[in-house]
Amino acid sequence: MSTEAKPPAQPEAPLEPGKFGQFLKEHGISTNRLPDSCGVETITISADDLHQALKLLRSSQETKLDLLITVSGVDNNDTIDAVYHLWSYYNNDELVLKVMTPKASIPEGKLPEVPSISNFWSAANWHERETYDLAGVRFTGHPYPRRILNPWDWEGHPLRRDYKQPADDLNSKHRVSFR
Amino acid sequence: MATELVKTEDFRSDDLRTDDLRTDEMIINMGPQHPATHGVLRLILTLDGEKVKHVEPILGHLHRAQEWQGQNRTWFQYQALIDRVDYLSGMFTSWAMARSCEQLDGITVPPRAEYLRVMVAEMNRISSHLLWLGTYLIDLGAMFGFPFYPFREREKLLDLFEEISGQRMMFNYIRIGGVHRDPKAEWFQKVRKFTEEFPQRVDEYEAIVTENPIFLKRTKGVGILKQSVAKDYGVTGPCIRCSGIPLDLRRTKPYSVYPELKFDVITYDKEGDTWDRYMARILEMRQSNEIIKQCLDMIPAGEIMGKKQMAGMRIKAGEGFAAVESPRGIIGCYVTSTGGEKPFRFRWRNPSFCNLSVLSELLVGSPIADIMAIFGSIDVILPDVDR
Repeated sequence: MSTEAKPPAQPEAPLEPGKFGQFLKEHGISTNRLPDSCGVETITISADDLHQALKLLRSSQETKLDLLITVSGVDNNDTIDAVYHLWSYYNNDELVLKVMTPKASIPEGKLPEVPSISNFWSAANWHERETYDLAGVRFTGHPYPRRILNPWDWEGHPLRRDYKQPADDLNSKHRVSFR
Repeated sequence: MATELVKTEDFRSDDLRTDDLRTDEMIINMGPQHPATHGVLRLILTLDGEKVKHVEPILGHLHRAQEWQGQNRTWFQYQALIDRVDYLSGMFTSWAMARSCEQLDGITVPPRAEYLRVMVAEMNRISSHLLWLGTYLIDLGAMFGFPFYPFREREKLLDLFEEISGQRMMFNYIRIGGVHRDPKAEWFQKVRKFTEEFPQRVDEYEAIVTENPIFLKRTKGVGILKQSVAKDYGVTGPCIRCSGIPLDLRRTKPYSVYPELKFDVITYDKEGDTWDRYMARILEMRQSNEIIKQCLDMIPAGEIMGKKQMAGMRIKAGEGFAAVESPRGIIGCYVTSTGGEKPFRFRWRNPSFCNLSVLSELLVGSPIADIMAIFGSIDVILPDVDR
């Protein structure tokens, strides 16, 4: 393969698991550490392990990551990520947890699927609805999977890279339009 | 004449036609154009008589696609837009963005700029709480002119903001790398004059409101926010501090020059009701006033900007989340940069959005007249919810 000729983008060995990666490893959940985001441990996890990992991180005495800051959807060019920012009410710990779905693995016309955590963490309810609305991640098992900010009959997910704005009087390129 | 009236004991319970009395739940639509919702919020209420059984907030009437704008505008352009996310505390939204970009780019903010940021932010906290105080009393039905007392002080603060940033509400003053303009010496004197007279003004509000029997009746024991519920919903800000968790980023994850300043974090050890949340904001205003005073004494001379402000400004590649403690809670943004002129992804974490989600828990079981008392007390601002 020609890719072997040039050095790969990340030549180093996989990063050592950090505090939370080690904690999850001890409980039998495999994670993959990414480069830290501004000094905060960042790990990826498979969608199947998400429930168990978040329950452990939230309630166990060692971690106590009980403040869900946001759930964000990010359209990286080749993956679609659901990003969970976890903080703690009582200490200064932070963790960024990502569930990455490669775009190649998503069937045509479908949305990437990530299990919803809003059944045991109410804070996630609206964040997941928003992520579904804007970034197009389907949270399976969500109690009320409706759009939250856009109208309910809106088409498309505006924060996707391939999103096309609806052509209406304001943004059509017709010469009489306001733009 | 009173003896001729039918006494209540004349009715026996079997006279009441309980079999035929059909009761039903009623669905009432509250808003979006409701004078007390501080913006455009629609609540679909399911009522059983006077009691609220279910609430469904419908959001998005003020959605302005701020995150979409974030990835389709340059850093420099977007910087000017984000004051509109939460227009009552624009300094904090700017500050959250500035911090997140600075930590990506590795910029060191000059100390004078940090002190100016703390000063204007605390002034903004006071002005935001003052507006809340005025409008909250309107929500409770106090239409007698009280709301204009807090607006008197707010007006002075807005004048001070206008002097340094050119705008009264959408400041665009805190920029990536520092602050935009160095105020003149007279400005500091005006701020000092304000801080000297402000505590007496708060005493005036308290004299009218705090022990007011009507106010106490409307707020004591209403809308109690349980700690477990608040934690479950990710509530932050004064609401969570009134429920017994001392989460204040200025103290727990100190940023800027807050470690050098002396101030109290207002926390209650119980599960607070709406009156506690009122009191916490009053005390917070006094603390903010003290912080401004200290800053006035401690502010050093020197540079105010650590990054050149230009239209083609770039931020180094990477991702990170930074937050500040706004009057409503933790406001933060998660920025992903690829090193280009535009952000790759800009995600906002808005305190109002998270605090509003607890509303359906708080309202269930309370009478319809308390809806606005409770909704007002969590201090939600709808542009911040919808972005």
